[in-house]
Amino acid sequence: MKKWITYIALSATAVTGAYGQQIDRSVRPAAAKAPVINIKDSEVFKTSNGITVIVSENHKLPRVSFNLVMGGRPMMEGSKAGVNDLMGKLILSGTTSRTKDVLDKEVDYMGATLSANGNSIYLSCLTKHLDKALGIMQDVTMNPSFPESEFERIKKQEESNLLSAKSDPGTMGANAEKKINFGNHPYGDVMNETTLAAITRDDVMNSFKQSFTPQGSYLVIVGDITPAAAKQLAEQYFGKWTGTAPYTADPGSGTVKKGNRVIFVNKPGAVQSTISISFPIDMKPGDPNQLPLTVMNNILGGGNFGARLLVNLREDKGYTYGTTSDLNVLRDGSWVSASGDYRNEVTDSAIVQLLYEFERITNEYVTAEELTFAKSWMAGNFARSLESPQTVGRFALSIIQNGLPADYYKTYLQRLEAVDREAVLQMAQTYFKNGYNIIVVGNESVLDKIRQFDSDGVIEKLDAFGNPVKEMKQADITADQLIENYMYAVTQTTSQKAMAKKLKKLKSIEKKTEFDLGEQGGGMKLLMTDVFQAPVKEYMKMEAGGMTFQSSFYDGTKGASTSMQEGRKELTAEELEDKRKSAGMFPEMNYKVNNVTYELKGIENVNGKDLYVLYVKNGDSEQYDYFTTDTHLKVKTISITKEGETTIENSDFKDVDGFLFSHSTKIVMGPMAMDGKVTSITVNGKVDPALFK
Amino acid sequence: MKKRLLIACAIGCALPAAAQKPVEYVEYDLPNGMHVILHQEPATPIVAVSVMYHVGSKNENPNRTGFAHFFEHLLFEGSANIKRAEYSELVEKNGGALNANTSNDRTYYYDLLPSNQLELGLWLESERLLHAKVDQTGVETQREVVKEEKRQRFDNQPYGTWMEKMFKLVYGNHPYSWTPIGSMDHLNAAQESDYVDFYRTFYVPSNAVLSIAGDINIEQTKKWIDKYFASIPTGQAINLYRDFENLSDDAFLAKYNVARSAFNANDFLNPKDPKAKALIKEYTAKKTVVQRPDAPITPINGVVRETVYDNIQLPAVFYGYQFPKETDKDFAALEMLNAVLSGGTSSRMNKNIVEKKQEAVAAFSFAFNMEGPGLGLVAGIAANGITVEQLEASLDEEIKRIQDELISVEEYEAIRNQMENQIVSSNSSVAGIAENLAQNYMYFGSTSLINRQMERYMSVTREDIQRVAKKYLTQNNRIILHYLPKQQ
Repeated sequence: MKKWITYIALSATAVTGAYGQQIDRSVRPAAAKAPVINIKDSEVFKTSNGITVIVSENHKLPRVSFNLVMGGRPMMEGSKAGVNDLMGKLILSGTTSRTKDVLDKEVDYMGATLSANGNSIYLSCLTKHLDKALGIMQDVTMNPSFPESEFERIKKQEESNLLSAKSDPGTMGANAEKKINFGNHPYGDVMNETTLAAITRDDVMNSFKQSFTPQGSYLVIVGDITPAAAKQLAEQYFGKWTGTAPYTADPGSGTVKKGNRVIFVNKPGAVQSTISISFPIDMKPGDPNQLPLTVMNNILGGGNFGARLLVNLREDKGYTYGTTSDLNVLRDGSWVSASGDYRNEVTDSAIVQLLYEFERITNEYVTAEELTFAKSWMAGNFARSLESPQTVGRFALSIIQNGLPADYYKTYLQRLEAVDREAVLQMAQTYFKNGYNIIVVGNESVLDKIRQFDSDGVIEKLDAFGNPVKEMKQADITADQLIENYMYAVTQTTSQKAMAKKLKKLKSIEKKTEFDLGEQGGGMKLLMTDVFQAPVKEYMKMEAGGMTFQSSFYDGTKGASTSMQEGRKELTAEELEDKRKSAGMFPEMNYKVNNVTYELKGIENVNGKDLYVLYVKNGDSEQYDYFTTDTHLKVKTISITKEGETTIENSDFKDVDGFLFSHSTKIVMGPMAMDGKVTSITVNGKVDPALFK
Repeated sequence: MKKRLLIACAIGCALPAAAQKPVEYVEYDLPNGMHVILHQEPATPIVAVSVMYHVGSKNENPNRTGFAHFFEHLLFEGSANIKRAEYSELVEKNGGALNANTSNDRTYYYDLLPSNQLELGLWLESERLLHAKVDQTGVETQREVVKEEKRQRFDNQPYGTWMEKMFKLVYGNHPYSWTPIGSMDHLNAAQESDYVDFYRTFYVPSNAVLSIAGDINIEQTKKWIDKYFASIPTGQAINLYRDFENLSDDAFLAKYNVARSAFNANDFLNPKDPKAKALIKEYTAKKTVVQRPDAPITPINGVVRETVYDNIQLPAVFYGYQFPKETDKDFAALEMLNAVLSGGTSSRMNKNIVEKKQEAVAAFSFAFNMEGPGLGLVAGIAANGITVEQLEASLDEEIKRIQDELISVEEYEAIRNQMENQIVSSNSSVAGIAENLAQNYMYFGSTSLINRQMERYMSVTREDIQRVAKKYLTQNNRIILHYLPKQQ
């Protein structure tokens, strides 16, 4: 000690030289007295229209934030997956009195932040701009206009974003995880090109109406504001807002399957495999098991340098820059995901080690040191998180939203301390069982290495949006041979000559099909009439209840379509050109001479049956035709146009005047499916020339 | 109540630039040259302990690029008193968090701890500075980890290589021409002597700033700093001490002509032996010298184009320009220029190129804040179906417009308000304050600049913005990178 005093005196006179060095550096400093951790109470009250307001006052900086969070539950979106996200992106696209340009300018002028998603609207600004900023937030909440032009623009932008997603391994992995863990659950909704195309502006507006309502909503106010002022402003700006009842059905938890599954997403050119091992769990926020399970998961792979996954896979093996196991416990669905990026060469070794660590933590007690370590680390995180005033508001929201005890966060450290090794082992054994989904986004070169981890040895392949990829075998014939075989099959001939003869005699076909719209369609019957007249004339009519609501024709040089909604529309020059190339009773025969792009993709196994897949591109539309490999009949067509995707399935082939025709048809368009029975087919009957006008 | 609020707003709105709430701090130098900055903030019982070393990728040997960052990884491996993997464990098991990052100019280490663990943080950082220890296992493992980091953050990311390409083209023969992640071949080639030399040259007290912010008692903190940091030898004596710890008796004798046993481990700086005493004196007086590359950069000659074929779906355009240093008086104007071009939703590039013409999914401009010559970036990722040529034309149009016309008064007021919000928000956490203090001292030589940000930006005029647009967005001398989808 004496030496220290001397040292300080000397250093004050700035004499250079070396002093001290008398400390024993091997002695690690002890902690000083532990500081007291205080969590301030938030003020909670309701507005006259039922918004629960939470105020967390903090005057450190002259800033305030208002976060308006909806209380409803998510809904399945299915064939319109992404509608809620799209709606969130459009909330700030204008109001009944402000165009988007005006809105953006006003917000930026204050240097404020105004953001929105499908479930909330958030504002942050300097205190001095609060009144004006709240006026804008009120406007977007109560009067969003979802302008058509912005809807179209955002949709187009999303198309580009979906394209980008195809080269982003993180997004691809996350999409696969959603689909696999939450098959029949709103979390499993992943937007793709088809669902995006199906979303209309009305869908977006309905989604907003359904989701944004004061009933059951929360307004979390944080920062430089008094509770009294907050109360007054909440009422002033949001008290007159009205809305419908929110959707409250609990979506339940994800689907757990027995045995480990390997799921592969191809990313050509990848130099790393993005691996995640994940599975859904059945847990709600505040579950008594949540804290011990969190401790267990943090020992396994929390975001600290002492976690087993990081020590093993990074610090010991150098396989990865970082890997964590994340536990997500949310009101609407919970899951575990252990993920990281690993170079291609160690993809299998990394999975071996990940599974080894999963196994180890379910079989053995963690050490006392590991437990103390994890708990101290969590306590520290908790204490540090309190620096942000947002945390206190978040805690209060979580307590109310999830029905937790009022002192839930105040007792956090105490409850954390009580977690013991038995509890940790029990958590691992309860929640970490087989049924792991091993998702690998990477280069196809790793495929053979990862098959061993699948319990039935079959790797499921998904595309960038989590949908199954169809695997194809190489076709044994050419596209032209396939078309020829198809024509032999339909005409029931075996030689070119015989076929030509038969076709020459074919003058017209009239086919009537009756579709049952089922319950969705109110038990209605739809009658479709198709007429072909050699060589290229065609006519189509759809009627229901005696009323024709759509018809179209093409006479070889002109054509038009007529619908109840839009009236008659002549085909444009471009449409006529496309039509010219694909017209006729058997357009396949003319692909070559008409310069249509077509290609035999290969053989795909669909429900146990081998089918040739013929790809056809004509103008803006694309089409996949499926032919059986044995009979060569066309059993399915998927056509993709700007309007969306339509699937037609044909079966029950029967002879009519020497030709084989399908007598049973199923049409699937977006969410709608119709089963049709052919009621009559007339070959070479009389055709009314007025149809082609 | 309502009335009062309205009045408050009226007053507030009339004065666009409110005074910054000052960040108070004390700063001083230790006799060994280490600079210390302390900021007390009692709101939350936590503390940020940080050390910023004035070494970045620009200080690297051009045949050992990536070394500064690699070294950052190695300095978590332990010390004479800390076993491998124990460094982070000591922080985390005491409720703390830690990390580090490396730029072209500096390497920054920080520990965020409960306030009662301040002394632990000081000890840990002093161990890292005085006598870090790295064994071969550590070197090999971290080499692999860094390679994975490069793959994850750059090689496997769409457009992930743009920075490497752009820096190379903009900086020519300047040491900024390589990025901190560097070359993996160079890391493979690194020898033990490289590590030793790097540590002895750059990891010395006079090349470091200790910055602490949080719930601390200033006097007690100073005492602990004296204990752990002032005791670190001055000048080359630190390397003498490192040799004393690491060399064998024979090697030490051969190098210094004084027996290693003439020194006492418990009181190294005060040996009884006169020869040892003389050696301490001599090495204490010998300065540590850090080369600061300040070679002027070769101006870009004409428009230099390069095309990269990547695993991407949407093409992208990146423009690179030579910008001034962060400390240049024009830098603030350039940042405000960027705010006009791409600061918010209403900014020009977003409004016109992304929203109106729908030619890009994102378009942005950015100024890299460098200690030496800066780099300006203007870039866009094309929307589906838009060519790089179309996107280029629109980006050029925005650049031309801001060069030809003064920005509107409304835009000017908006970016001033945006800057004000940014400055107010920049010091919201103790971790952020510790870093801002250190960076201001290291780059600008003026810690107090942390409290003068408002005037720095508010003194920029509309004319300044037009002037810097003309001066630095040199359309005839720039780099143009195109990213195009690789044919698969």
